[in-house]
Amino acid sequence: MAFKTFWIMGYRDLVRNRRRTILTLVAITLGLTLSIFMSGLIGGVMESSLRDSIRLTTGHIQLRAESYEEIKVSLLRRDLLDEPDALAVQAEMLPEVQVASPILWASGVLGTIRESTAIRINGIDPASSLHDPLRESLAAGEFLTNDGRREIMIGQLLAREMDLEVGDRVFLAVGNPDGAPEEGVFTIVGLVNSGFPGLDNTNVFLNLSQAQNITHVGNRASTVRILLHQLDDTAAATSALEIPGVAVLGWQELHEVLLTALETGQIFYDFLYAIIFLVVAVIIANTLLMSVFERTREMGILAALGMKGRQIMTMFLLEAAILGLIGSVFGAILGSILVYYFSITGIYIGEGSASAVEGMAIGTSMFTALNPADILSLSLWMMIVILLVSLYPAWYAARMEPVEALHAL
Amino acid sequence: MSIIKVENATKIYHIGESETRALNGVSLQVDAGEFTALVGPSGSGKTTLLQLMGCLDKPTSGMVMVNGNNVSQFNANQRAEIRQEKIGFIFQFFALVPVLSAYENVELPLLLNNLSLSYRKERVAYLLESVGLTNRMNHRPDQMSGGEQQRVAIARALASEPIVVLADEPTANLDTANGQQAMDIMQKLNQETGTAFVFATHDPRVMAYANRLIKMRDGRILDNGNGAG
Ligand SMILES: Nc1ncnc2c1ncn2[C@@H]1O[C@H](COP(=O)(O)OP(=O)(O)OP(=O)(O)O)[C@@H](O)[C@H]1O
Ligand SMILES: [Mg+2]
Repeated sequence: MAFKTFWIMGYRDLVRNRRRTILTLVAITLGLTLSIFMSGLIGGVMESSLRDSIRLTTGHIQLRAESYEEIKVSLLRRDLLDEPDALAVQAEMLPEVQVASPILWASGVLGTIRESTAIRINGIDPASSLHDPLRESLAAGEFLTNDGRREIMIGQLLAREMDLEVGDRVFLAVGNPDGAPEEGVFTIVGLVNSGFPGLDNTNVFLNLSQAQNITHVGNRASTVRILLHQLDDTAAATSALEIPGVAVLGWQELHEVLLTALETGQIFYDFLYAIIFLVVAVIIANTLLMSVFERTREMGILAALGMKGRQIMTMFLLEAAILGLIGSVFGAILGSILVYYFSITGIYIGEGSASAVEGMAIGTSMFTALNPADILSLSLWMMIVILLVSLYPAWYAARMEPVEALHAL
Repeated sequence: MSIIKVENATKIYHIGESETRALNGVSLQVDAGEFTALVGPSGSGKTTLLQLMGCLDKPTSGMVMVNGNNVSQFNANQRAEIRQEKIGFIFQFFALVPVLSAYENVELPLLLNNLSLSYRKERVAYLLESVGLTNRMNHRPDQMSGGEQQRVAIARALASEPIVVLADEPTANLDTANGQQAMDIMQKLNQETGTAFVFATHDPRVMAYANRLIKMRDGRILDNGNGAG
């Protein structure tokens, strides 16, 4: 039977019930728009938090001694890189690499006369552009220099907790591989506010050579941290950096915890999508069932003319498909526009909310990320859900006995 | 030559505990080309009998043969097919598809039979002309009078050249003039095409058109009419 006739009948029926059709379309459109916007927002926040975390805390790639374990913060010779400067130079020769610089980590105790607290020491080369992001997150004072004074930068949260200001002097006690603890007095030159609570309340930054000095590790470093020009170059650069005895870690491995957390979050977001889709599905089912009830008599006529159940079902599914297609197209367009707009302007969420989320750097604005694949898949899911819920009304119409349907005459 | 044969058919409707014997052992034969009225008081089983003959429903017991097929054994799809190919219906309420124009309503059975566009055009034009509605071709049902709608329904019933048209009180919702016009057209088409017509009616003026009169009462046939032998 000419498909076109089903099409015409479905389409005209939708036009005939203009108000109901428009309301249903609005529901589909808004549901999809909301889902797409949510997905764009979540994607944007994840993307920017990952990007900031890479820039500020891990870099794209790190070189470490094979035996190094991050949580142990070992200073043992075998756990450190012997020639970090040479490795950094070697890495910087790769075209993908923007900058590489050694870092020494140690655990220690930061003290004043009043109190002391466990912290992690980061020995860094202040001159390296690797630390530009840290430089940008300086909240007070100056960045470390290389002029030999005993300077220290600490996180602003830590400073607040310990009631410290720029210019104050603090003790730093470190264990070293020789056993005896070493102590030094440092002057706070700057406070860092990165937006990462983990970074801002437990980390202090020293000049690399001073850190090496105080820990007695000579020229060695815990890692060579590398920033690439592009995230996508990670795999290529990682394989180019095969050095015997050196572990090469990409950002995925460095962010295992964050990525797992994001993945777990995804289940929750999928659940939210499911709820939105379910609401839309109920509205669609209702619209179509009403359409079936109102057209019982029409079904009887069509059955008398010899239309089979299967064809009647097709007719209703087609009507649902028209609704679903139009609504999904509108929703996809509207959602994309919203996501695109806010990916440029951002959504202002205020100073207070910044860095409120543990382990995620969230600025004062949230930016959405436009991901065409996500938009396409949400739109397709919307269509699928609509067709699935339409099966019931369509089947209901198809199953009607012609005599009973005609009884409505 | 008999095109429909009903043998000892009964139809029992159950509503809760009570049962209604709408047909109680009906036997009947309809021959090609006859123009037959089915009469009887309200509740005598006319509609039920038309539904059995039209393969819209199955008898509780007994047999219905249409065009040589024992349709009492048919499943829903097979019954749909035989309706589509062999039977036309006209109902008391004009029973057009509301969203389709007169042209499209008449075209519908042809589409169901997968007939070509050129054939459909020609056929619909001929049918609309036969019922005098060429100028209403693009009107939707709600833009036509009751009489016009019923004429469209007649045209549609004949579209796929059925062997019989079953009409359940086709004039009951028409005024005298329109009822007469509808009957004139049916009679003319019966004579021109040789399609058999069976119509249930209460109206003596409509009965007067028939060349056979079947009388029913209480689910039985009182008088077989015998008009066509
Ligand atoms: N779907 C049904 N369910 C239950 N009983 C029914 C049904 N259809 C018809 N009946 C009963 O069957 C009997 C015959 O009904 P039918 O409609 O065939 O009569 P009819 O001769 O067409 O009457 P009318 O002239 O009023 O149209 C009546 O008693 C009616 O109440
Ligand atoms: Mg009746």
